[in-house]
Amino acid sequence: MRLVLLKKRIIGTVIIKNGWAVQSFGYNRYLPLGKPECVVENLDRWGADEILILSIDRSSNRLGPDFSLLEKLASLQLETPLIYGGGISTIEEGVKVIGLGADRICVDSLLHDNFNIVRKLSERLGRQAIIGVMPVMANNGIIKWLNYRNKSSLPLKDGMLDNYTKTVSELLLIDFLNEGSKDGFNNKILEDFIDVDLSLILFGGLSDGPKIKKLLANKMVSAIAIGNFLNYKEHSIQNFKREYSRSNIRDSYYKERYSLLNDK
Amino acid sequence: MKRINVTIVNYNVGNYASLSYSLKALGFNVRVSSEHSALVDSDIVILPGVGAFSSAMQELERLDLVGSLKDLASNKHPIIGICLGMQLLTECSYEHQHTIGLGIIPGEFVSFENSRLHIGWNTLEGINSEKNIDSNKSYYFNHSYVYKGPSKYQICTTTHLEKFASIIRNENTIGLQFHPEKSQKSGKELLQKIINEACVA
Repeated sequence: MRLVLLKKRIIGTVIIKNGWAVQSFGYNRYLPLGKPECVVENLDRWGADEILILSIDRSSNRLGPDFSLLEKLASLQLETPLIYGGGISTIEEGVKVIGLGADRICVDSLLHDNFNIVRKLSERLGRQAIIGVMPVMANNGIIKWLNYRNKSSLPLKDGMLDNYTKTVSELLLIDFLNEGSKDGFNNKILEDFIDVDLSLILFGGLSDGPKIKKLLANKMVSAIAIGNFLNYKEHSIQNFKREYSRSNIRDSYYKERYSLLNDK
Repeated sequence: MKRINVTIVNYNVGNYASLSYSLKALGFNVRVSSEHSALVDSDIVILPGVGAFSSAMQELERLDLVGSLKDLASNKHPIIGICLGMQLLTECSYEHQHTIGLGIIPGEFVSFENSRLHIGWNTLEGINSEKNIDSNKSYYFNHSYVYKGPSKYQICTTTHLEKFASIIRNENTIGLQFHPEKSQKSGKELLQKIINEACVA
């Protein structure tokens, strides 16, 4: 029996719309939180295992990646691995996002629009740097994949996911219908991914309780991404880690320095 | 006490900002450069990197850094390679195709069994002279290729599907497979310790 020492991860997620960090509900309603850099610095200070930035309107508005945000985040001296998604449509953009401080990138629209570029990004940056994002829903036993730009959804075709196993490192599955709803994540979404040879990051309606514990125990699940339910509570990440300390996650961590609050 | 001067090799592969900020916060003087003179003038050189081995070696060759780094190593100038930087220090990698590396640390890089990946936080186990590594602390890994080489160059191992070298060393050249600059407190402390010890040696 192989010893498992690699920890499962709690990923603090920041949804960004119009340049502001927001709480998102079902990819449909949004409440403002404030400057993204403040939210990110909190997650870094609380010891998130990774920080995920999802700039959800960059592709639909054809804005490209938010390079200026990445430059601001670089000045925060973050000590936590950073994942960026939003607006990446070319190899040069993906490489520049990494050069500006992201450790990994997420691609969603590009999986639909031009998978060849995803493949080339994987060759250039390494498969470990690429995460495929799939907003999905379970409807009458059928899993559908949302193209959020035109709000259309299509069933998962046979073989569709096989292409991804050699190109991306993990799949970020977003239960977009239940996103923002307390304990709303629909476990049935996992059923269609049982045979996929990729680790899964789960996001959308993951707040607390036995559901997260059970999902973390699933061998296909490498990480849980949490967004809304980390906000407005100090030390949220540490509280989560204490609650799930038996779920093979890294211990809580408290950082002693927070640059945005220091007097200069 | 004199501050240690660190030069981060700039070869257009990966991100220097995080590493640069981390090192400054630890009290080191930091410069990012691709000039041979800047590497020689430093107390220690750091070779970072995120991406593919062959592209990175092409950039090192284009910037005429291959010879510089080999000269530094042969003159026992301290060098630390991080993640892809560690991989480049060795003889070769089989990522996509067989590519020759810097050859400073004997050994090569091959893919994990069944092309698996190693992403996330994992621990170190000290071997040989590094028995005092704290095996309860975790560090952030993000790689798909592992070191295969003589055990005399392996300082620490990590276990993921198989046991592999997570820190390697040949004289004053050290390779770290994980990202200490993204490993929060444990990473910073270890990086500071390694740099201080390398510059005293």
